[in-house]
Amino acid sequence: MSTIINVEHLNKNYGQKEILHDLNFKVDHDQIIALIGENGAGKTTLINILLNLISTNSGTVSILDNAKDLKERIGVMMQSNISITRITVKEILKLTQSYYKNPLPYEKLIELANLKKLENSKMNELSGGQKRHLAFALAIAGNPDLLFLDEPTAGMDSQSRTKFWQTISTLKSQHKTIFVTSHYLEELETIADRIMILQNKSIDFDGSIAELRSLEGESMVEFDSELLPDLFKSIPDIIDFKNIGNHYRFTTKNAESLMEKITPYLNAISNLKVQQNSLDSLFVNFNKGDANHE
Amino acid sequence: MNRFIYQININFKRIILRNKRFFLFDMMLPIVFYLLYSKVLVTGIPQTDLKTWQMNYLISMIIYSCLLGSIITVANTLLEDKTSHFDILSQLTPLPRWQYYLSRILIFLLLNLISSIGICLVGIFVNNLTLSITTWSLIILITIIGTVPLIFIGILISLANNPATVNMLNNLLVFPLAMISGLWWPITMMPKWLQSIGKLTPTFELSNIDQSILHGKIIDNQYVLGIILWLVAIGTTTLLITKYQKYKELDIE
Repeated sequence: MSTIINVEHLNKNYGQKEILHDLNFKVDHDQIIALIGENGAGKTTLINILLNLISTNSGTVSILDNAKDLKERIGVMMQSNISITRITVKEILKLTQSYYKNPLPYEKLIELANLKKLENSKMNELSGGQKRHLAFALAIAGNPDLLFLDEPTAGMDSQSRTKFWQTISTLKSQHKTIFVTSHYLEELETIADRIMILQNKSIDFDGSIAELRSLEGESMVEFDSELLPDLFKSIPDIIDFKNIGNHYRFTTKNAESLMEKITPYLNAISNLKVQQNSLDSLFVNFNKGDANHE
Repeated sequence: MNRFIYQININFKRIILRNKRFFLFDMMLPIVFYLLYSKVLVTGIPQTDLKTWQMNYLISMIIYSCLLGSIITVANTLLEDKTSHFDILSQLTPLPRWQYYLSRILIFLLLNLISSIGICLVGIFVNNLTLSITTWSLIILITIIGTVPLIFIGILISLANNPATVNMLNNLLVFPLAMISGLWWPITMMPKWLQSIGKLTPTFELSNIDQSILHGKIIDNQYVLGIILWLVAIGTTTLLITKYQKYKELDIE
């Protein structure tokens, strides 16, 4: 597999403020990479650097081996919506297609972006969610190999979001590489091949969700009990333990050993819940762990 | 080429055809001025001089209309492209930057052509002005070519990137420029020192070239050279500022 994105020793400052510190990563073909981080972590700055919209202070960035037809092969869905007056959806799509040598066929484009019913609507009269669909259509108009999606589903309703991620899966199966940021982590969980956590100016985690689970705990076990917390403190493989009143919550690498340990007390336990840790809680745990390390 | 024509077509509809502001501001305002000062408020002018006055004022209003279109409409349209994020969208596509500006310049030239023809038609049908087709065509053609430096001024103002600053610069430039270059009233009515400044403006130079065509006189090369110098100076400044802004954008988000 050849490298689509190659970042080496990337540093970025705004004045005296350091935003990104010594970033190193590679992205291969046919992957969906989720870049996550808290607000202000530098995700959009990193995307803008990859798109050559802003410069680095040092380090190298190579996209598609700096091919001459780079812009023909990249599609970008920016965080901010485009809202032009006096132009219809169909016109802006056809106009954008005209910038590319090999654009996606128009019919396929509106089908993928779910815009069939909005073709003749004026662009500035679309709702926030509809504008995200249009931004997506504009991003894929050129039939790109590499797609950057910055907060793609912000403002979309739940049905549209589900359909959107199905489309992303379809694009991946067509050998597209997709680099996505989103605050809706539960959506990324099902689709991303690889998670990158941008925190403290650098990529603090880079791997699959399974690897993140093994690091931050596979499962979460919750129950209510009037038993004393000391009984549960010696359970092995506990990553996080919370006790508020009668409520207990454990994040663990090994749910089975935890269950074995609490089995003798089952009569004194109610509302027992065992579930696989979501990306959302893994991210929270990761942040907390990182803060504890500091 | 077909793609480029398609791009021009869509942008023409967006910027001119569906833009009521263009028809009201760039076309109707000079037409109203023209009718007012060539038809209604003409009681003191002897009948023998009236036709010449109507002709001369027609030239002034054509250039005034092009001045409004080239500076105010150009600056606002390009600023709108930025605030609506259309500009960034086009930068992320393979569309070359020069092609973006070329398509806009062609549209703005079309805009000036439409308003020039509109004002000429008012002169023909309301004031019964008669000129040969060649003279009408030559006046319009020279005016359109002569407005290119004004379009560059509009592009230059749009680089301020801020609606309040763009509006302020538009107002500070357009109306004083119209006054001192003698588009609203004869330049001889102004103090000598102001006349000497007014005679250096591109609108005065263009007006004089058009007047020469209108009255069948030889065009003074000094005015042609003046317009070329304006074009080079403003074009170079625009290019340098664009490059500087690109450098700054890359450095500061």
